[in-house]
Amino acid sequence: MLRYTLRRLAWLPIILFGVSAIAFFVLRAIPGQDPAAAIAGQGATEVQLERIRSDLGLQRPVVVQYFDWLGNLVRGDFGHEFKTASSTGATSGLPIREQFMERFPESFQIIFLGLFFSVVFGISFGILSAMHRNSPIDYFVRFFAVLASSIPEFFLLTLMIILPLYFWNYSQPVGGYVPFYDNPMHYIRLMLPPALIIGVGGSAGLMRLTRTTMLEVLLSDYVRTARAKGLRQHTVVLSHALRNAGTPIVTAVGTAFIAVFGGSIIVESVLSIQGLGQWFFISTLARDLPVVQFLTVYTAFIVVLVNLTVDLSYGFIDPRVRYS
Amino acid sequence: MATIAGRPAAAADAMSWEIPRDKPLLVRVGRPWLRNPAGLIGLIIVAVVVFLAIAGPYISPYDPRQLDAQSRFQTPSGEHWFGTTQFGQDIFSRIVYGARLSLGFGFAITIVGFIPGTILGIVSGYFGRWVDYLIQRSAEAWGSFPLLPILLTLIAAIGPGLKAIIIVVAISALFSGSRLLRAVALIEKHKDYVLAARSTGATELRVVVRHVLPNIMPYILVGLSSVFAVAVLAEATLSFLGLGLEQGEPGWGIDLAQGRQRAAEYPHLVIFPGLAISLAVLGFNLLGDTLRDILDPRLRGTT
Repeated sequence: MLRYTLRRLAWLPIILFGVSAIAFFVLRAIPGQDPAAAIAGQGATEVQLERIRSDLGLQRPVVVQYFDWLGNLVRGDFGHEFKTASSTGATSGLPIREQFMERFPESFQIIFLGLFFSVVFGISFGILSAMHRNSPIDYFVRFFAVLASSIPEFFLLTLMIILPLYFWNYSQPVGGYVPFYDNPMHYIRLMLPPALIIGVGGSAGLMRLTRTTMLEVLLSDYVRTARAKGLRQHTVVLSHALRNAGTPIVTAVGTAFIAVFGGSIIVESVLSIQGLGQWFFISTLARDLPVVQFLTVYTAFIVVLVNLTVDLSYGFIDPRVRYS
Repeated sequence: MATIAGRPAAAADAMSWEIPRDKPLLVRVGRPWLRNPAGLIGLIIVAVVVFLAIAGPYISPYDPRQLDAQSRFQTPSGEHWFGTTQFGQDIFSRIVYGARLSLGFGFAITIVGFIPGTILGIVSGYFGRWVDYLIQRSAEAWGSFPLLPILLTLIAAIGPGLKAIIIVVAISALFSGSRLLRAVALIEKHKDYVLAARSTGATELRVVVRHVLPNIMPYILVGLSSVFAVAVLAEATLSFLGLGLEQGEPGWGIDLAQGRQRAAEYPHLVIFPGLAISLAVLGFNLLGDTLRDILDPRLRGTT
């Protein structure tokens, strides 16, 4: 177990190195793309471009730039934004690290709340569906799951804003984040509706998987034994069956997390939440390469970390799991 | 990799009926299909979308790009079935042309991504070895990443437009196609008819092309419907964010984004494009799910 964990942890920097290299070279080595022109804006003279290039070290070979960037990244210097360079006249923009720290909490909350509802909806409806197989409840849950994976989140979010306004003249607050302890009521109005929508979207896969796994487990011998002992239904289902269905369900929770994480880009952009997803989006529009590079590596880091956590959790849920 | 020693006895799901092999494929798949309302709904939706895409120019009452200052923001009426946009364009006509665009995009993905993927999958499942290992590990690595950040990174590099979306979605389709068909090929290659074909002295290539391929056609359709669902959704999402189709083009995602500013007064601006995307994706999902359930419940969750 310890050896397995260490080996997996040793892979982490290797994967991140690979992703960072791919991201850097895709962003920098594709011809016809001059970061200096993007910074200077239209109508910049060749002399100005030359100055920006030499200030930012863009005239050096890409490989040198890459290792320079990577070295700084490892030391905790995430670089500077491009986009503010021209407006302030300085050679480099705001430090990425500060921006990250500022934006992280909002993203974290929206992702965490969304995932929370995904897990609650997904697992509870999945169990319900498996227990009442081929009943109207089951059909409803299954249809709901297909629906939830078909309706795009950006459509639901748009409806969430416009329909209450159209019918009841209620305006859903958008943007303008307020911490919970400052104004709990406003926080709930701001965060609950989008979190529910993300939750519905993320729950579809989890619902189906919980249902199929529970169907399998509920037909197994030890569940029959537990029933024969005269245990109550909810004891059998929740402590015998669910525990044994744990491994695939945790895998699906990991998948839901990744889905919610990716979807946060849309949610934050639509609702003007000043989080990391919205930052990714506006930096893509502005071709702010250092930010895009950094967020790509950050995404890879989160993805690898989630997968690692999921794999390691198998051992805790199911003692029969052997790591090799 | 974590392995599970001694999984609980896998109880078969009730859906795993054996389809008699002596009937023609259409009967084998068709009969359980008609018994399944979800499959029927999916089939109807997809048929309508395909019809709109093909018959587009003949059935759309107006030019989808035609601006008309006289008829801006009209609500649905006999003249304009789905109303008009803020530029006076007929929304129904735009939806019809949007079907064309979405399906066209799906076809592009199928040709550059999914079909090579199926070939790759059959080859790796059927012949195995290091090719198989390499493809599977790459598919796993790619599949663990969310698509949207990858798309944004590529768009930051090569600029917005359909090119970036096609590249990323095609790679996804390549891997999902190869994964699905690999799983199918692994099961098929041990079947009796393959052995029979081999014993007559047929070459491996002939066995795959003439015997295995016709037998796995329905699985290819399963993969295809999920490819279309993902493609439609990806194009709509990126166009909605303003990173896909150019402004003014009749795409569902674009119309939804453009209608958003005035949607609180005129909800029809976003409701029809939104419904178009949702229904099309729903149709493809239902179609794929039903087909997969009929064919083989074991493949659940591989696409």
